[in-house]
Amino acid sequence: MSTTPRLSPAETIPVPEKTPASRRPRVAARVRHVALPLGSLLLFLALWQLLAASGTWSRTLVPSPSAVWDAFIDVSTTHDGTRGYNGTTLVEHLGISLRRILIGAGIGIAAGVVLGLLMGTVGWLRSLFEPWITFLRTLPPLAYFSLLIIWLGINEEPKITLLAVAAFPPVAVSTTTAVAAVPKSLIEAARALGASRWDVVRDVVAPSALPETLTGVRLAVGVAYSSLVAAELVNGLPGIGGMVKDAANYNNTPVVLVGIIAIGVSGLIIDGLLLRLERVAVPWRGRA
Amino acid sequence: MSSSDTTTTVPDTEHPARAGAVRLDRVTHRYGRGGETVTAVGPVDLTVPAGEFLVLVGASGCGKSTLLRLIAGFEQPTHGSVQVSGAAPRPGGTAGVVFQTPRLFPWRTVRGNIDLALRYAGVERAQWPLRRAELLARVGLEGTERRRVWEISGGQQQRVAIARALAAENPLFLLDEPFAALDALTRERLQEDVRRVTAQTGRTSVFVTHSADEAVFLGTRIVVLTKSPGTVALDLPIDLPRGDVDAEELRESKEFNELRVRVAHAVKSAAA
Repeated sequence: MSTTPRLSPAETIPVPEKTPASRRPRVAARVRHVALPLGSLLLFLALWQLLAASGTWSRTLVPSPSAVWDAFIDVSTTHDGTRGYNGTTLVEHLGISLRRILIGAGIGIAAGVVLGLLMGTVGWLRSLFEPWITFLRTLPPLAYFSLLIIWLGINEEPKITLLAVAAFPPVAVSTTTAVAAVPKSLIEAARALGASRWDVVRDVVAPSALPETLTGVRLAVGVAYSSLVAAELVNGLPGIGGMVKDAANYNNTPVVLVGIIAIGVSGLIIDGLLLRLERVAVPWRGRA
Repeated sequence: MSSSDTTTTVPDTEHPARAGAVRLDRVTHRYGRGGETVTAVGPVDLTVPAGEFLVLVGASGCGKSTLLRLIAGFEQPTHGSVQVSGAAPRPGGTAGVVFQTPRLFPWRTVRGNIDLALRYAGVERAQWPLRRAELLARVGLEGTERRRVWEISGGQQQRVAIARALAAENPLFLLDEPFAALDALTRERLQEDVRRVTAQTGRTSVFVTHSADEAVFLGTRIVVLTKSPGTVALDLPIDLPRGDVDAEELRESKEFNELRVRVAHAVKSAAA
C-alpha cells in the first residue's frame, strides 16, 4: 500500500537550471586548469627538439626528445635478448627504489612521530633533542652517506638508513610544533569530562597534531625522494637512482634523463596521493 | 510556595542528599609570583546547598570566572579551602563544566563528541546509543548525530557542549558565561532549556554571567561580586516560580523586572 505524496505548488516549482552564462566561467577555469600545464609541456618539448636539432651541443650533452623516448622504450622492454637496463626493466627499478623509500621513510616517519609526541609534551626532552635534530636536518644526505657505508657496508642497510635519517627530521619537527600548540582549552575540556592523561594524548593531542604531522610526512617523503639518487650511489643497481648513476658512468644521457623523469613523475603522483590522503584523513584542518 | 526548605523537583537520577553542595571557606586566589601578584578573588565565604541554582554576577574582571575555575578544580586557592560534596574538587570527577566557547573536538562528529564524554564517564558501550539519544533530546538536538561540529550553528554547538557536560551525571553543573557569544534569540532559548534541564534533574548549578537579566531568569539565588578582588557584594534569594512556567510571561512579569533592575544596580555599584 502506498500513498502518493502530494506536493504543494511551491514544492513543485522546478529548480531553475543554470544558465549557460553562469556556467561558462567555470568551464573556462577548467580549460585553463588543464590547458596551461599541457601547453607549457608541449612548448617545452618543442624548444627541446629545436635545441637538439640545432646541433649547438653534441648529442651526448643534449639528446633529442625522440632519443629519450627510444631509451624509455628500451629500458621498459626486452629487446635483442637484453632485458630493460642491466637486466631489470624501468618499472622494476622504480619498484625496488619505492620499496626502499617505503621502508626507509616509513621507519624515519614512525620515529619522528614518536619523538615529536615526546618532545612536544615533555619540555626537557625537547631542549635535549632539538639541537641534534636541527643539526641533522642541515646536513646534506651525501655528507653522512660515506659514514653509513663504513658502518653498514654496501647492501640494503646503508640505503634504508640514509632514507630513514633523511625523512626523520621534518616529521619530528612538525609533530613537536603541533603537539606543543594543541589548544589548552581542548585539553581542559577533556579533563573536565574525566579524561585520564593517556585519554588526553590519544583523543585530543594526537588528532589535534595530525594535520601538521601529515604535512611533515609529505615533506619527509619529498626529502627521501630527493635523497634517492644519493642513497643508491654505491651498489644501487637494481634501483632507479642506481640506474641513473650507472648510465651517467657510460655517458648514456638518454637513460639518465629517463631515470630523472621517472623519479620526478612518480614523486608527483605520490605527493598527489598524500595530499588526497591528507584531505580525507583530516577534514577538520583549519576548523579547530 | 517556597522552594527553599523542600525540594519540589523530581530528580531523574539518584543523588545522595548532600551531593553537589559547594562550600568556600575564606577563599582567596592570587595570580603571579613574588612581588607582582594580583589578587583576583577573595576573601570569599560561600555555601551552595544541594539543588540550588546559584548565579554569580559581576562586571568583567571581577574574578567570577576564577571562582568557577576554583570550584571546578582547575585552580587551587591561594588561601582557604574549596569543597564540593564534602571533598576537594577534581576536574572530571565532581562537576560537569560548560565553558564560554563550546570547546568541541572538531575531529569528531556530534555523536563522537557525546560518545567520548560517555566513555570518560565510565558508561558501558552497550548503553551509549540510548544515553546519547537521551542527552541530545534533552538539549533539542535530535537528528544531528552525524553532523560535523563546524557545520552546526554556534547555538547548536553550545547545546552539544551542554549535553556533553551532562553525560557524567555529576551532581554539580558549572557554566561559565556559556551564552555570551550567542544572538539574543538563541540566548533566550538556551536559557529556557538550561532552566528546564536543571529543574528536571535537581542538579546544583553555579552559573557565571555579567547579565542581570540572565541571572534573574536562571537563578534561585544571585550573588553579586565586587570588582578586583572579587568579594560578595550582594546575596539575594530569588523566589520566581520554577517548573512549568511560560518563559515569556515570566520575563514580562513585574517581579522579574523589579529584581532585574535591583541586580543591575547592584552590579553597577559593585563595579564602581
